[in-house]
Amino acid sequence: MSDYVIETRGLTKKYGEQNSVSNLSIHVRKGRIYGLLGRNGTGKTTTMRMLLGLTPPTSGDVKIFGKPLRGNEKNILPRIGSLIESPGFYPNLTGTENLQIFADLRGLKSPKYIKGALEVVNLPYRDKKLFSQYSLGMKQRLAIALAVMHNPELLILDEPINGLDPIGIAEVRDFIRELCDAAGKTILISSHILSEISLLADDIGIIDHGVLVEEESLAELEEKNGKYFRFTVSNAALATNLLQTKLGIQNVQVDNANEITVRDLRLDAGAAVRLLVDAGLSVSDAHLYEDTLEDYFKQVTGGEGIA
Amino acid sequence: MLKLLRCEFAKLRRKPLFFVAAAVSALIPLGCALFLPDFQEFTNGAQAVDGMMSTLFQMSAYLLLTPALVVLASNLLFEEHDNDTLKNLMTVPVSKSALAMAKMALLFLFSIAFMAVGSLVILAIMMAAGWEPVGFWRLFFVGIGEGIMMWAGALPCVLLVVLLNRSYIVSVIITFFYTAVNYILGTSDYFIMQPFGFNLGMLLPGPLAFRWFFQYLDMSNSSAQMTELLERISPYFVTTPQAFLVVIIESAVFLTLIALVYKRQSC
Repeated sequence: MSDYVIETRGLTKKYGEQNSVSNLSIHVRKGRIYGLLGRNGTGKTTTMRMLLGLTPPTSGDVKIFGKPLRGNEKNILPRIGSLIESPGFYPNLTGTENLQIFADLRGLKSPKYIKGALEVVNLPYRDKKLFSQYSLGMKQRLAIALAVMHNPELLILDEPINGLDPIGIAEVRDFIRELCDAAGKTILISSHILSEISLLADDIGIIDHGVLVEEESLAELEEKNGKYFRFTVSNAALATNLLQTKLGIQNVQVDNANEITVRDLRLDAGAAVRLLVDAGLSVSDAHLYEDTLEDYFKQVTGGEGIA
Repeated sequence: MLKLLRCEFAKLRRKPLFFVAAAVSALIPLGCALFLPDFQEFTNGAQAVDGMMSTLFQMSAYLLLTPALVVLASNLLFEEHDNDTLKNLMTVPVSKSALAMAKMALLFLFSIAFMAVGSLVILAIMMAAGWEPVGFWRLFFVGIGEGIMMWAGALPCVLLVVLLNRSYIVSVIITFFYTAVNYILGTSDYFIMQPFGFNLGMLLPGPLAFRWFFQYLDMSNSSAQMTELLERISPYFVTTPQAFLVVIIESAVFLTLIALVYKRQSC
């Protein structure tokens, strides 16, 4: 039995000649939050749609709960809660009435399911406001309520914080974290907002132009982040020479006439400053820097950053 | 399936289109009662029942029910796309074919309701006018039967609507063209006077319904023109089992095609 709740192998989706998703193999572990990170239009939603059987893959396999999705939809899909793209509900019905329809279809007879789901997203039960009158944030909350209403083991959430205000974002983030930590749910979440993924995910998959370019735990990614010292001095060339000759430091780079970058982490910053000052140089700034996840994202996608 | 049908009813809440469409069935009987001089000239209850019910059978069913069915079908079938709810239904999971069938079942019930409302309005008018509704209930059930025939007859048009996917304007044009053709063919000798078998006179809802319900109307006091028509077409009347055999076969074929086409459409 596989340890993965979601496992794809060579998942590919082509629209005509264009590859929306190419040879994607992701591995979502049980009880973890997996963040699928990528810019807009890189294939995150298409991937999620394929995981839910909404879009048939051109090639490749999807296994969920250790079983192929194809042919097992009736057993697998009821165990999943999902939010894909924009919230879709009937505009002539209230939030409660909308959830009631899906509760009936899922065979959830007790009103406690609807009440509970609305409660976690801070929407009122039996409110008279129609869905068409909801704000974007309320619509998104209702979509999250629908995803969690039947207490699924796996949640697939496509950009769940879209349209939420900062407080709403924090609430949803806490709620998702709690679902994973306290209730042991497995969650696949996509976002183009790097900070959200870094705050929430245990494992991260970086997708670019439909290709999974990186898949690791957040801890592993953080370990990979580069660290370096940067000094602002009165004479960069002399300072470089001193550090190399007196302290035996390698990997020193002169950025400009006054700035140097040291990537050799054996450096004792205090000793270095003392050495430079004793040599008559003025040191106006000495800092230890760490690459951000965004820097890493830029590095692996070979391009621009992300929001 | 029942669950889906119940949900289809739940989705109708605050949607006036359905209730207005069902209420429209009262229009022609009311109009006839108020404005047609014939209504004043009935000599007994049986004649009034026949006269009024025949307007329901020949006018309301042909000119209002058929277009109402197709317009409502477009509304029902497109609403999941328009509201982006199909993805939520598919992940329950609900099969698209079952969903399409639930919507067709709703239309079936609507047809029955349409004819029932029209008939009951006629009954109310009769009572208000002081006529004894002799033979009303028999024609009430004939009306229900005709509603079912019109529902089955609207299915080819619904199939076209599904094939044209999301094109409301083209759907409406097709609907009104189909309604007009159905009405004209339903009164054409060429189509009415065809033997029971695989021919347009049997397959098109207009001629089929006419050849079935007409035999239930009391023509004993009718005009010479009507008596002549009756004599001419009575050999081509279809029995209830024959009529409903055609309805069952037609609806099975077109429901299957509708389900297949709806299933193939992306969500």
